[in-house]
Amino acid sequence: MKRQLVTSMGSLSIAIAAALLAPASAAEQGGAVPRLADGHPDLQGVWDYRTITPMQRPLELGTKAFFASDEEAAAWERTENLRQNRDAEDSEAGGETHQPGDAAFGPKGSVPQGWAGAGGGVAGRAAYNEFWWDRGNKIVGTKRTSLIVDPPDGRYPAMTPEGQKMADLIAAGRNDTNLGRPHADSYEDRPLAERCILGFNSGPPMTPGAYNNNVELFQAPGYVAIVNEMIHDTRIVPLDGRPHGHVPLWRGDSRGHWEGDTLVVDTINFKRETSFPNSGANLHLVEKFTRTDADTLMYEFTIDDPSVWTRPFTAVVPMRKSDQPIYEYACHEGNYAMASILAGARAAEKAAEAKPSK
Amino acid sequence: MQKKWVRGALFASAAAVLATAFHLGATPAARAAEPYKAPRTADGKTDLNGVWQAVNTANWDLQEHVARTGLVVALGAVGAEPGGLGVVEGGEIPYLPEAAAKKKANFENRLTDDPEIKCYLPGVPRATYMPYPFQIVQTSKDILIAYEYAGAMRTIEMTKTPANPADSWMGHSAGHWEGDTLVIDVTGQNDQTWFDRAGDFHSDALHVVERYTPMSPDALMYEATIEDPKVYSRPWKISMPLYRRLEKNAQITEFRCVAFVEELLYGKFRKQAGK
Repeated sequence: MKRQLVTSMGSLSIAIAAALLAPASAAEQGGAVPRLADGHPDLQGVWDYRTITPMQRPLELGTKAFFASDEEAAAWERTENLRQNRDAEDSEAGGETHQPGDAAFGPKGSVPQGWAGAGGGVAGRAAYNEFWWDRGNKIVGTKRTSLIVDPPDGRYPAMTPEGQKMADLIAAGRNDTNLGRPHADSYEDRPLAERCILGFNSGPPMTPGAYNNNVELFQAPGYVAIVNEMIHDTRIVPLDGRPHGHVPLWRGDSRGHWEGDTLVVDTINFKRETSFPNSGANLHLVEKFTRTDADTLMYEFTIDDPSVWTRPFTAVVPMRKSDQPIYEYACHEGNYAMASILAGARAAEKAAEAKPSK
Repeated sequence: MQKKWVRGALFASAAAVLATAFHLGATPAARAAEPYKAPRTADGKTDLNGVWQAVNTANWDLQEHVARTGLVVALGAVGAEPGGLGVVEGGEIPYLPEAAAKKKANFENRLTDDPEIKCYLPGVPRATYMPYPFQIVQTSKDILIAYEYAGAMRTIEMTKTPANPADSWMGHSAGHWEGDTLVIDVTGQNDQTWFDRAGDFHSDALHVVERYTPMSPDALMYEATIEDPKVYSRPWKISMPLYRRLEKNAQITEFRCVAFVEELLYGKFRKQAGK
């Protein structure tokens, strides 16, 4: 999919212009929902879930749940694209300029959660320039200001004391600038995405991220398979009503069923560390896939982790049909970065020891 | 010489067993005239859906081999290598002379060099006969094969077949039907994978043609023809049955071995206590 970026660079402005001209009529133009021989909607194919719409409503947008007009939406989109442009990096502010969502996301120079594994960096050292990035550059067609649709303020709900304590601990480690570099005593200090254990955007649940925001769905009698480009993660979901298992799994234990034309995937049995920031072993995830027209798959997920948040919350990510194939993302096999990060940290320590103390 | 004789005897007895089995199986004359007819999918194709697994020692060594002491002393019988009759047609892999030397070196260095040790993607055909199940998800369009080992997967393209722009670990799979048989043409694999724990290897010129043919409701015959002019003097073939996992709740589970090899690969970079 990376190649797509190169070939689409030139047509980018044209695509944006086209989208701006007729965003409201996109659904009508999409065509009818195709169906399989068994009567269920055909959800198969490659789906692209890139978007620049952030998970949480930016604080500066206040109570605005939707942009009021196409013009307002386009203006925000333009500003946000400029703000996230990695080629316009401020070497002092570093990664901060590239964070999704609200500008005042975290302390200067910090790396937002869920972003670090996607090649984020500390101040002045953001990994990858714009060429390697393939994030979404368009807001969602509904003109919503956040992917979170519930609670109505578009923000994560309040945390429980236990959840807050854990989140603070994680953030403290991430934002600790005393070392002048990230923590790297061992691979265990590094995020799951960097370790090639879970993809940074493949979930579950799937959340738009830095690049390779693609998923392919397969439907066979009694099963649906969800295959993410990152990091060739495959979930084969039984639809035959069998009960959940008991073993904790990195991507949880998924069971699916149809509710009318909507495929519902229910997942429990997560490990303590999950893909979704701050969620844990008690996470109960419900994902809903609804093909609303030939070109659109609405992906809705509800996160319920009562040990972390005081109430469940729901996000909607529209996915667009792609005619491009997904190529292999062999993460672990090419993970030279892990050895380099750890060896670099040891070298930095050695250099610090060699310096005469003041 | 002694070794050769043992190998010869083993092979001879194996051949005898096979011959007997064939003879018994072939006795009812009607058998040959009525080949097994597999169930069909809604669109009339052979239905290969299911969780399947090889039950043999091909992942230890494709060729005939005796049981031997394992490489990790502490593992005792648990780490010992089971023997097997081999799955290579004709018994021998036709290595070119230089390649035969490399295979020998691979075997000697297998504890460190086998990509399986590092949890790397296995490539084709090795993914098929590793000691883990895999699932075929056969749709009316493409076919997904998902393997338990390392979360490996590949899509068998049944409609569009452009080659991949670059080599990859699992390659590019283009499928078509020949009667009841699913035939998959696999190209574009890199030269980093091995065929087994004995160091059998290939180059980036590898071309594999796989055939999956139903033998009975719960077994498939798997055949793979392997061609690589940089490594072998001629194409060669392996074959083995694959068995359906009949557990009621059969499913492939998670073998995310990355987490199991991090200490092996990165432990040497760990910060030492007191430093």
